[in-house]
Amino acid sequence: CGLSLDPLPMQGPELGIQADDIEAPEVEQEPKQEVLENKNVVVQRVHIDGLGRTKEDLLTYEIAEVFRANNLIDVMRKSHEARQKLLRLGIFRKVEVNIDTSRGEDALPNGLDVTFEVTELRRMTGSYNTMVGNNEGSMVLGLRLPNVFGRAEKLTFQFSYGTKETSYGLSFFKPQPGHFERNVSFNMYKVTGQFPWSSLRETDRGVSAELSFPMWKTNQTLKWEGVWRELGCLGQNASFAIRNESGHSLKSSLSHAMVVDTRNSSILPRKGGLLKIHQELAGYTGGDARFLKEDFEIQLNKTLYWDSVLSASLWGGLLLPFGDAPTCIADRFYLGGPTSIRGFSMYSMGPQSDGDYLGGEAYWAGGLHLYTPLPFRPGRGGFGDLFRTHFFLNAGNLCNLHYGEGPQAHLKKLAECIRWSYGLGIVLRLGNIARLELNYCIPMGVQSGDRICDGIQFGAGIRFL
Amino acid sequence: MSLAAEAFVSQLAAAEPWPENATLYQPLKEDQILLSDHASSLAVQAYLRMCGLPVQVLCRVNSEFMSPSGKIPFIHVGNQVVSELGPIVQFTKAKGHSLSDGLDDVQRAEMKAYMELVNNMLLTAELYIQWCDDATAAEISRPRYSSPYSWPLSKILAYQKQWEVRRKMNAIGWGGKTLQQVYEDVSQCCQALSQRLGMQPYFFNKQPTELDALVFGHLFTILTTRLTSSELAERVKSYSNLLSFCRRIEQTYFEDKSS
Repeated sequence: CGLSLDPLPMQGPELGIQADDIEAPEVEQEPKQEVLENKNVVVQRVHIDGLGRTKEDLLTYEIAEVFRANNLIDVMRKSHEARQKLLRLGIFRKVEVNIDTSRGEDALPNGLDVTFEVTELRRMTGSYNTMVGNNEGSMVLGLRLPNVFGRAEKLTFQFSYGTKETSYGLSFFKPQPGHFERNVSFNMYKVTGQFPWSSLRETDRGVSAELSFPMWKTNQTLKWEGVWRELGCLGQNASFAIRNESGHSLKSSLSHAMVVDTRNSSILPRKGGLLKIHQELAGYTGGDARFLKEDFEIQLNKTLYWDSVLSASLWGGLLLPFGDAPTCIADRFYLGGPTSIRGFSMYSMGPQSDGDYLGGEAYWAGGLHLYTPLPFRPGRGGFGDLFRTHFFLNAGNLCNLHYGEGPQAHLKKLAECIRWSYGLGIVLRLGNIARLELNYCIPMGVQSGDRICDGIQFGAGIRFL
Repeated sequence: MSLAAEAFVSQLAAAEPWPENATLYQPLKEDQILLSDHASSLAVQAYLRMCGLPVQVLCRVNSEFMSPSGKIPFIHVGNQVVSELGPIVQFTKAKGHSLSDGLDDVQRAEMKAYMELVNNMLLTAELYIQWCDDATAAEISRPRYSSPYSWPLSKILAYQKQWEVRRKMNAIGWGGKTLQQVYEDVSQCCQALSQRLGMQPYFFNKQPTELDALVFGHLFTILTTRLTSSELAERVKSYSNLLSFCRRIEQTYFEDKSS
């Protein structure tokens, strides 16, 4: 089979399950007028038509609920839910539901047959993009094999070839049949990055194995990762502190993340909250880097009067090295920029040497936002709904810790010299994926060495403070 | 850097005197450093001592990657980072310290020629013996080079370095040589140096120059480094004036440290 450069986006239909329409059930016209909604029915057969390489045992879990329906409304609802479940597997392009009365010898008078007509995704889909960045261009080739072995396994390969850097990644994802939220994935990658705020170039070659599962209301992830990191100076004018960090290191770490997300949307939520706690322990499964890293993210949203939303968020993190070796710049935290503390340049806060920002071992950052619809509500009900105005207050701090002084001293250090900023701006929501912001910022509490961006600042991203 | 920028930087460098806290970086002495790197580092140290410029030697695991050119050693003076003997000599000359001022043009050309000889013969031979001779590579070079890193990074880096050196050897035509031929080349080089030195204390009679520092660095390291076979050291030892030359420089400039 050949490679087809399909215009399908890399993310399949499992992203952003929007409200959709259900096929109207076809029911034979009874000669008598019956009130169908109250009629008791029995679902006798549930078929899935159109299966090619998908194994049936995977799907029996998703459609099992339909058998339990006992009246027509229930059948329709459970069929709709089963259709959603089939779509979220990411292996079907289209799923249509057909509800019909039972036929055949063992057909009951109130029996129903439910048929799911599915169209499987092609065996291999590809995508090709070109990207233009800071003085470089690159070509990104993506290959995806959905449903490799028939049980919703997914193999993805992405290759980016640029004038400056080349990166690639291979990923294999396998869900547990019947419990799609429990899944395991294996990744191999080589990624290069250039960080002009630190005059640093980093190349990471790594492998990782990740296990995800839900537990009560939370989603837990356990991961082992092994990365060979190569650091170098970006340009001849890098400071000596950055030159000192050049070289190779190996990190082998175990990490755990817990996420509780009750928001209605991850971009511009109107209600609900997010709690994310992540910890990483490096060095006990080999490697050179030895540390314990903790970070958390909290967000709370509440709708107020007149369609406005109040949102509060808090981020924090701590990096504790073991032994005498100092921490590596690749593990430290950075702060500042249009996606964290607005009004400051990208990652240009905290410890620095000759204009190169070195990152810090502890940080906290908080934000308070008030989102309102655009004044005078232009384009209401359509385009105008994608925009919001927001008023924000951001504050935070990033510093290194000198261990042996005790937790009191550390807390005091983080409370001194707080940087903060306030302002207002316009937010544009891009589907369910990303957000653009254009803000007018006034930075305050600026410490010597920080680089600010007061006035108009533009930001684009997925995760904002 | 462009020529104009280089000129500007060396003007700036010339303006500042040699600071007290100048440092020289090399790999770890006990476990990591290899013959060729140690020879180059010792040459620079000898040169700086001959100029009377104080420098502190710091051992760092990643010094090869810290160096702007990727070669050992490099010095950190004020805000400047300079690596390898040639550029370091230029750098100190810009600050007003030079060992070869007293030479006339003919002698200077001769000095450059002999330095080229040492770099092309002795240094290349050291690299060949370290990385292209399987016994030495397996017993000494790869274990030492990879000692600061954990598995599997240690294996990857050691083999990567070996392939890189072997590729370079092939490119300059040394790939086809045997170990005996390399030893012969070393002998010939030592013979040329021995003849030039004669009975004089230094190559250009009374005063040491950068050539003396370079030759000392390489010969002293060869004589004092344990390899899988002692043939390299034996070849050098057969020239007695070179032996006394090394001893003389060691006693004059290095007597306070047991190198």
